[in-house]
Amino acid sequence: MNQLNYVGKSLRRKDGPDKITGRAVYSQDVKLPGTLVGRLLRSPHAHARILRIDTSKAMALPGVKAVITIDDTKGIKHGFVETPRYPPDQEVLARGRVRHVGEEIAAVAAIDQITAQRAIDLIEVEYEILPAVFDPLEAMKPGAPEVQPTHPKVRAEVPYSNIGGRTATGWGDVEKGFAESDYVREDRFESHLRTHGYLEPQVTLAHWENDKLNVWTSSMGTFVKRAKLAKVLDLPYSAVRIHKTYVGGTFGGKIDLYSHEYCAARLSMLTGRPVRIVATREEIFSAYRHGQPLIMEIKTGVKKDGTIVAQQVRAINNAGAFRGSGVVVIFLAWGFTMIPYRIPNLAYEGLSVHTNNPVRAPQRGHGCPQIRFAIESQLDTIAEELGIDPVTIRLRNARKPREQLPNGDNVHEGGLIDCIKVAGEKADVVRRYGKGRKAGGTVRRGIGMGVSGYFGGSLIYPNGSGVIVKMADDGSATVLTGAIDVGQGSETVIAQIVAEELFLPIEDVKIVSSDTDTTPQDIGAWISGMTYVTGNAARQAAGNARDKMLQLAAQRFNCGVDDLYVADKVVYNRLDPAQSMSYRDIIALSIATRRGDTVIGEGFWRTMRDVPTHPSLATTKGRWSENYAFSCQTAEVEVDTETGEARVLKALTVHDCGFPVNPALVKNQVDGQVSMALGHAFLEEIMMKDGYTLNPTWLDYRMPTIHEMAESDDADVITEEYVVGKPYRTKEVGEGLVSGVLAAIANAIYDATGVRLHSTPFTPEKILKGLRQLERERRERA
Amino acid sequence: MTETPKRPKSNSRLIALCVNGEWHEVTVKPRHMLVEVLREMIGLTGTKDGCEQGTCGACTVLLDERPVLSCMTLAADCDGRQLRTVEGLAEGEKLSVLQQAFLDQGAVQCGFCTPGMLLSATALLERTPKPTTDEIKKALEGNLCRCTGYNAIVAAVLQASDQGVTPLMK
Ligand code: FES
Ligand code: FES
Repeated sequence: MNQLNYVGKSLRRKDGPDKITGRAVYSQDVKLPGTLVGRLLRSPHAHARILRIDTSKAMALPGVKAVITIDDTKGIKHGFVETPRYPPDQEVLARGRVRHVGEEIAAVAAIDQITAQRAIDLIEVEYEILPAVFDPLEAMKPGAPEVQPTHPKVRAEVPYSNIGGRTATGWGDVEKGFAESDYVREDRFESHLRTHGYLEPQVTLAHWENDKLNVWTSSMGTFVKRAKLAKVLDLPYSAVRIHKTYVGGTFGGKIDLYSHEYCAARLSMLTGRPVRIVATREEIFSAYRHGQPLIMEIKTGVKKDGTIVAQQVRAINNAGAFRGSGVVVIFLAWGFTMIPYRIPNLAYEGLSVHTNNPVRAPQRGHGCPQIRFAIESQLDTIAEELGIDPVTIRLRNARKPREQLPNGDNVHEGGLIDCIKVAGEKADVVRRYGKGRKAGGTVRRGIGMGVSGYFGGSLIYPNGSGVIVKMADDGSATVLTGAIDVGQGSETVIAQIVAEELFLPIEDVKIVSSDTDTTPQDIGAWISGMTYVTGNAARQAAGNARDKMLQLAAQRFNCGVDDLYVADKVVYNRLDPAQSMSYRDIIALSIATRRGDTVIGEGFWRTMRDVPTHPSLATTKGRWSENYAFSCQTAEVEVDTETGEARVLKALTVHDCGFPVNPALVKNQVDGQVSMALGHAFLEEIMMKDGYTLNPTWLDYRMPTIHEMAESDDADVITEEYVVGKPYRTKEVGEGLVSGVLAAIANAIYDATGVRLHSTPFTPEKILKGLRQLERERRERA
Repeated sequence: MTETPKRPKSNSRLIALCVNGEWHEVTVKPRHMLVEVLREMIGLTGTKDGCEQGTCGACTVLLDERPVLSCMTLAADCDGRQLRTVEGLAEGEKLSVLQQAFLDQGAVQCGFCTPGMLLSATALLERTPKPTTDEIKKALEGNLCRCTGYNAIVAAVLQASDQGVTPLMK
């Protein structure tokens, strides 16, 4: 019998008490004596040559301690990806040219904010303005201004044309597939520019002391930050320590190395004093990295019964001025196309096109909401043309458990079919679909469905996680883990696993986390694999400590380890109830008889053990993940046909995360993603003109407030299990669920109104325009 | 020998703030915002600073029991007045009913909005012991949360006001 005490339970967060009392220390809260204030000088132009920088007036200002430009750097480049095809392409400050508004040119450290800002204003820069390009399609035309002319060409046969990245892949024969199809359609979709909206600003405090750089920075992975920062500073990794702090939200936007992180470090090295740089919200909106707007052309051929025969997908990314994660999103858009449905013939091309816009970062879902919006919207249109309901067409194409994927991965127990069935039943989709449109009236209701699949952990630096469990001699445990809790609850999940494996009360498990000097390396909270990778490492480490203790007890009792059981930190012999020994005594015995062994357990885990590295971004060849999560989401919307306003009344998420280690934390993730998808669907848009951000505040960039929340229900389709002492498989639950619900909202708006939206956001203007068009068509027919 | 720079003219003044029941005397300039004084001078970093633009609510504190945005409030205007911050919600180790409800409902994720949320909601509950959902939304409309989607926060306020919501987490 597999009786679990902690895993699978909705336990309160370990970090909760700190966070509700104000004790939690975020990077901005760390105070060091003598701290200087750093500020950055940013480009006011989208594209310009830098003819001259004169920092002498700034240097001369009383209170200014240091000013740096590119000349004070080692000229070492970094990149979100660093591969032979896509070598690092960005310096920490601009060299000779700026390529987007807000690009960092110089930095100062001064005794206070006002002096720092005055110094920035005193730096003289002479520019020669260059022609700029902002739209990816314009950028690909011959004669367009070249943003990165020295980047290696990614397509031998055509001119550079600002194409900075290309993913090309497929299988089967799409032409033959289209010829064999009963119905073929082509659509074009677009997804717009949004941002992460983390509440805590970007902030870094750096202190160079005794040849060691101590850093407190708001991030999603301290080991990645350490590697990148050490590299650009040309320091050994061991000379850089990223300390643990609480993190006030990330959502993809805090994994890249940012110029301010380098500048804080370098300024501290020059001045010998701590330097703090906090980005203003306006800077974050107008100069930092946002997500990725995609143009998606989808051609799909199906049989009469809705079975997909062939699909051709082209995704074009407006990548901004440097590579950023632009070359990754075009790889991922392929992956998120491939996961949920069988596509016997596929031709995929993704292009990442440089423009004079700010650089792009991953954003929760990283291409998934965009591509699922496109594919799921088209699938509903196809279903309607064929007279099939939305549930049936999805079930017809959904991957079955244990199916092999074309890239060599396996979906294992992937529960997509169950997700679709349960969502269909719970939301009563088949019965309700089409009713809203028929009923007419001013305010109409509609229901829609969307499916998505997501990878869980892939191989990317640092590739694996280690965990150490130290037993204290009172029998309690301290867990050393590099895992960073950005709000998702990793510390709680790890504590639950350790408590379970050690049969310890959870109060006896203390977590020390995400400090690069004192905790083992960890993959970080940005590759959707922490519960699986770090969790299994924690399971192993705790198991290792447990086994050491049980072996000692078994020796002492002269019985087998299998004859033992543990209750309340006391080990008993099932065969002889008189024999028992507390953890405390066992640990003392270990120290006495095992040459001082204080009982330390170690564990480590790596996804896809036998695979050397991540798949090719160019060809998609190579294994990608061994944890595919699936979901089917529905949305119920209400549309006012007079104003064009739509709102979500209720969202339902049915997902397969394997099994939930903490169901309430999973629910937290679901709710957060539904809310973010609402923002994507209706409210949020970074408005840009000629490279300038027009709405750099939360007043004009409208994130969902408490008035915009929707009822959000969820259900788990459990496909895996947890057994003490055995490896387990959990799947992603914190990113992919922004996707299906976005598609579901689009499909529900169609269901309510007959208006098919081909671009996000779903604004009243677009809906009204669609309604008017329908009205015209109706009149013409009449 | 470099010359000693001239003493700068100062327009600072000494004010007294009663924060969580304790008086603090601080010297502030006319431009100093309350958030800066609380965080940098008094050392109460529980109050968060998310935007400095008056748009996120993370910096909400209670001034004479009414929620204000401390990034938009001049410190000098608070001279002699009562302030409550997140550090003043628990009595010693004993959490307020609302704090406990936030833990029980999973209303905290990254926690950055939490101090502001708690104070807006505390003010509401002190005015209106049994608020309706609409009243809760009205009271918290100025507090952005990017993590939770708000449902858990509403549930926490309902739990704290004893309106039939039971804990989600143990
Ligand atoms: S920091 Fe005051 S409202 Fe955002
Ligand atoms: S918990 Fe992260 S912003 Fe609310």
